[in-house]
Amino acid sequence: MVNQPLTRREFIGTTAAAGAGLMLASGADVFGQTKSASGKMNVALVGFGAQGRVLLESLLKMDGIQLVAICDIWEYARTYGERYLKKMGVEVRAYENYEELLGGEKDLQAVVVACPDFWHAPITNACLKAGLDVYCEKMMSNTIEGARSMVQTMRETGKLLQIGHQRRSNPRYIFALNRLVRDAKILGRLTAANGQWNRAVTEDFGWPKKAAMPPEELAKYGYADMHQFRNWRWFKNLGGGPLSDLGAHQIDIYNWWFGMPPKSVMASGGIDYYKNHEWYDNAMVIYEYPLPDGVARAFYEVQTTTSAGGGYFEYFMGDEGSLKMSENPNLTALYREARAPSWDGLVKKGYIRAKTNGAAATPDAARVDVRETAQLAEYEIPVTFSKAIHQPHLENFFNAMRGKARLNCPADEAFSSEYVIHKANEAIAAQKMITITPQETKA
Amino acid sequence: MSDPSIHVFNHHAMATQFQVRIAGEEKHYAAQAAQAAFALTDNLESQLSRFRENSDISQVAQLAPGEQLRVSEPAFACLEIAKKMELATRGAFSITAAALITQPGQPRWSLFEEHFSVRCDKGKLEFDLGAIGKGFALDRMAEVLREWDCPAFLLVAGGSSILAGEPPLGTTGWSCGLGDDNSPRRFWLKNGSLSGSGLAVKGRHIVDSRTGEPAARTNRAWALSPTAAESDALSTAAMVLDEANVSNVLLSLNDSSVWLHDGREWKQFGGRKRIGEAQPRSNAAEENHRQRATFP
Repeated sequence: MVNQPLTRREFIGTTAAAGAGLMLASGADVFGQTKSASGKMNVALVGFGAQGRVLLESLLKMDGIQLVAICDIWEYARTYGERYLKKMGVEVRAYENYEELLGGEKDLQAVVVACPDFWHAPITNACLKAGLDVYCEKMMSNTIEGARSMVQTMRETGKLLQIGHQRRSNPRYIFALNRLVRDAKILGRLTAANGQWNRAVTEDFGWPKKAAMPPEELAKYGYADMHQFRNWRWFKNLGGGPLSDLGAHQIDIYNWWFGMPPKSVMASGGIDYYKNHEWYDNAMVIYEYPLPDGVARAFYEVQTTTSAGGGYFEYFMGDEGSLKMSENPNLTALYREARAPSWDGLVKKGYIRAKTNGAAATPDAARVDVRETAQLAEYEIPVTFSKAIHQPHLENFFNAMRGKARLNCPADEAFSSEYVIHKANEAIAAQKMITITPQETKA
Repeated sequence: MSDPSIHVFNHHAMATQFQVRIAGEEKHYAAQAAQAAFALTDNLESQLSRFRENSDISQVAQLAPGEQLRVSEPAFACLEIAKKMELATRGAFSITAAALITQPGQPRWSLFEEHFSVRCDKGKLEFDLGAIGKGFALDRMAEVLREWDCPAFLLVAGGSSILAGEPPLGTTGWSCGLGDDNSPRRFWLKNGSLSGSGLAVKGRHIVDSRTGEPAARTNRAWALSPTAAESDALSTAAMVLDEANVSNVLLSLNDSSVWLHDGREWKQFGGRKRIGEAQPRSNAAEENHRQRATFP
């Protein structure tokens, strides 16, 4: 008998089913109710860059969502967006900035913010104050104060603010955490985590010559020049560098899965490779998490190397099992230690799947049967989902707007997680261990 | 010796190596244009790969008969070309060729342009864009380079598909050979695409979608077409078509050509000019001896 491993709340929250190899039908809405005219929500997308276009593809697939406006300060991106959407049969109004957007759109319900980090707080705060619910990409802000202001505005306005740590709505992550790590304690006592996002050397982003913005327009929006505009992630007053852009994905999972922020961080890093950047291109970080059973340490690295650098994952290690999680299912792996209690019960429940059968259990220690050498058992997590990777998190946001779900990553929880990412950058600059109190991670 | 005015950039995607060559442009600008083209290829892979759990193609594979799904614009465009090539080659090229191994019959599917949707009509839509996706990526990369005002380019996907833009200054085209390195069978190519298919690298991996059997041809086939998606698909189709049917197919694809080589004899099909057979050792000599295959 296969059980439904996700609870109803988890199911609603993620709009994804799980089970022994069960996949959610593509494009399905969890309640099947959003196709009604009254269920349509008018949405604007602020920022038509790389991430905005990723979110756009999910938005276009979701029932009950009507994209009515896009906004980008770069005419080149804005025009591209208008043309692309027109080709897709989606008529939108295009605005240069969020003030024009809020002035021009009178029937908006939600805004998806995917512009450079240093604009997140002003835009999100203005949208919340205008009575709109907001889905804002991570990081919340390039500064702790910016992020804190977003939490405060969320509380003052009572509007929803979801932060785009999309793994928090990934059904494989939710299932593995709730059913395997917490309920079944499949890893035993958690002792360590190891994570990374290493990547190959790349050129800085350029721009077609004809598409350069005039200097005064760049200055108006806070950029020194086109290079800074196109490569904002590398500049200290605009973004947070690789530890923030990439590290946020894994370090957020540490905080979520360990269920607390760390008590300290030490780190080493530098501007070792790119000479025209301000943020560290290589970094190694160690956090200490004071878990009830004892300290667990979590290592994180983001390196400028080759495409053979191992990709991105979060590897949780206990004394009875280890679980390598990744948004890339091909990198996900589950290992059982020989001393661990049998996992056969979990296999029977459909919580994990045996890829190969191991040695038979030992029901009677006084008896033994002899045959050919048995293989070591291998296991996998049976949960898959067939949507674009950001879609469940966006669906969670819109289901929360409909009153049918709780946000999987509300701004106050995201703040706690992102605070310790800012502290890792700070530890590199200070070249010393920084202690973190639980209180300071709360907005 | 390599021409120093041509800048060459490499990138891994779609389980092979992509290459961008740009002529007549400052190196730093060319590098950034190439990167923009490579970034597009990575995005296309995330949308078109059947090996990516969350790609459009993987999502389409989950549709039950009667269900439909909106897909991204590139996925829809690629499927449109795939359908056109399946019809034009009378099913010799098909993105569901391998489905005959896993399903009782070929699945059926429809496209709806008004909402960019794919509908499953019958069976399971186990699309494999392996014989068209790389070519499609080259076509889209070319759009990026033209957008960047880098019209003189040559794009290479895994050595099996190339797409030429304008030629380097002072030349009539990019020198292309049929076959292994430094093939004597060469011509000048501009604003067109050449693709090759064969069994030398991956063995008998091409399946005849009409029978489910491995491709009949045991050597190599090449196709020359205006776009790389078409040449990629057509060279695969030519691996399973007999010679009479290659000629028939080219009646409808009349801006394409096909070459077959059985190990001894070369045969050309279609309306393009016959390629030259001389073996000059310099560009100038090549130009004198080669006939040109160019697109207006």
